[in-house]
Amino acid sequence: MIEVKAVEKKFGRKKILKGVSFTANKGEITCLIGINGVGKTTILNAIMALTPINKGQILIDGKQIDKNTFEKITFIPDAITMLPHMTIAEAMEFMNDFYTCWNQKRATELLGFFRLNPSDRIASLSKGNTAKVNLLLGLALDVDYVLMDEPFSGIDMFSREEIANVFTSHLIENRGVIITTHEIGDIEHLIDKVVLLDDGMVTKEFSAEEVRENEGKSVIDVMREVYQR
Amino acid sequence: MKNYLKLVNFELNRITKLFAVLLGITFVTQIVGVIVVSRDYLNMANEKLYEEMMSKAVFLESFGQMSFLQIVKSVWFVGPIALCIAGVAFYIFIIWYRDWVGKNTFIYRLLMLPTTRLNIFYAKITNILIMTFGLVAFQLIILPIEMLVMKGMVPNEFRTDMSVKEIVNSMPELTIIIPNSVIELILYYGAGLLVVSILFTAILMERSFRWKGIFAGLIYSALAVVVLISPLLLQEFVLNGFFYPIELLVLEIVMGLIVLAASIWMSGFLLMKKITV
Amino acid sequence: MNVNFNNRDPVYLQIVRYFKEKIAVGELMPGEEIPSRRELANRMKVNPNTAQRAYKEMEEQGLIYTEKNHPSKITTDRKTLGKVRDELLVEAVDMFVTSVRSINVPVEELLDLVRVKYTANDDKEA
Repeated sequence: MIEVKAVEKKFGRKKILKGVSFTANKGEITCLIGINGVGKTTILNAIMALTPINKGQILIDGKQIDKNTFEKITFIPDAITMLPHMTIAEAMEFMNDFYTCWNQKRATELLGFFRLNPSDRIASLSKGNTAKVNLLLGLALDVDYVLMDEPFSGIDMFSREEIANVFTSHLIENRGVIITTHEIGDIEHLIDKVVLLDDGMVTKEFSAEEVRENEGKSVIDVMREVYQR
Repeated sequence: MKNYLKLVNFELNRITKLFAVLLGITFVTQIVGVIVVSRDYLNMANEKLYEEMMSKAVFLESFGQMSFLQIVKSVWFVGPIALCIAGVAFYIFIIWYRDWVGKNTFIYRLLMLPTTRLNIFYAKITNILIMTFGLVAFQLIILPIEMLVMKGMVPNEFRTDMSVKEIVNSMPELTIIIPNSVIELILYYGAGLLVVSILFTAILMERSFRWKGIFAGLIYSALAVVVLISPLLLQEFVLNGFFYPIELLVLEIVMGLIVLAASIWMSGFLLMKKITV
Repeated sequence: MNVNFNNRDPVYLQIVRYFKEKIAVGELMPGEEIPSRRELANRMKVNPNTAQRAYKEMEEQGLIYTEKNHPSKITTDRKTLGKVRDELLVEAVDMFVTSVRSINVPVEELLDLVRVKYTANDDKEA
């Protein structure tokens, strides 16, 4: 379980996160929703210790992050984390070099799944394919938790569909996934849990199925209630 | 350790192009320099001997033989060395900032590697060191070649031959880059390493705290310098030459090691707790 | 298995309903094997947890059964299967009645109209 506890974060004098708390379970897809600039990316960065927090605590399976945690949790930012002149194969080789949890078999499978050409240079890829390579490099790690920042933003419809298919496949199963998005349309049926962020706080944390079952509302209905108050 | 070596190798691959360009410029410029300076001398000799009908003995007496030192002291030779030094100095900063630049932020990957983040620091500082040694070694390799070119152009009786060692020793600036003894080598390059580690710490402060970090970095650097020269200041102004030179040297080495340790500790702390992508 | 899910009903119940419809019209036969949870999630593009929940629900309702180390199968229990058909029918009629009640027609007139429309549709389809 990933526990984010009362996390506060300031940028200069501006408080971006004002005490954010939520949990994300293994085996579930948790979706952080909020308008752009609400601090979704900052939360993911903070979980990965890529940016310091001013207050609060973040625990991964009850422990604070250290170097070994990076074999257990991975982060797929919205920009590719490899050098532009590298080929896809070289990027995979790099991952294989450093991570013991790199799963070459799954990486090859993902190459096929996304129909990517390993000898292509990263700089030459379309936006959709860049996003897919980014996803491949993260998902081929045998980790318990995967964080994804806006995996659907700014890419074409067909790439979006292919990426959405990942969520329903064995590539995700049994892992804990946190994904951020500002538009839920593509994935409303795919997610387990929704965390709504507004003004630096969690305004609502709920299970998508329970809200449908108990209140007869869609996730978007709930979002409307929260954001259009 | 294994991850450190992999990172060093990876970082090395990233500078091969820049490195090759520096080597190429150095080689070409210095060879051209050898040819130009030699030909200038020969042209002058021709003029004096055949147009002004000066005798060889008189010419040699008033203008002297040509030595490789004339080349070494020319812009052709010193220029590329200065360029390489500037290149390395520049790269001390670029080696960090390039990871933050652009949409492809490689720093995410580096910081998420399952290895202690200090390895990134070590790998980068090792790279600066390797790059420096590489350039110096290259200079040592091409020096004899350049001397051969001169020998081929200037006839025996018009030139004095010098060994590499003599050349280096006749230029104090060169002895810093190519020291005479192992101890000097360790001292000079140790000092260089120390400076790079202080600069790295300052860079990481900037990367952690941005504007405020620049000030923190400047203060840290100033503090490091003060600590480093404190034995010298004490010796000069307080203790009136209390220490023997060798004691002073040992003190300086100790101070250097303290500052190096502080820089490494501080960089490790920043990378672990304060860095921001 | 292209299902258009609506956003306001629990996805797992919509999956259960999908299976009931297939059973009622005979597209899924008693004792027929059904896809694994993972495969279903993939084909219906839903969360594997949701597929799991739908199967659990169907097992509780006796619609499917799972023997150890075998794929799940549609029940062979006639009574349960019969109930599925009745349930869907009652549900559909309920919906129809609710919407038609607001028009306030005598029931005889309504039934005549239903008869005409229903058989006309049959002819068309035949």
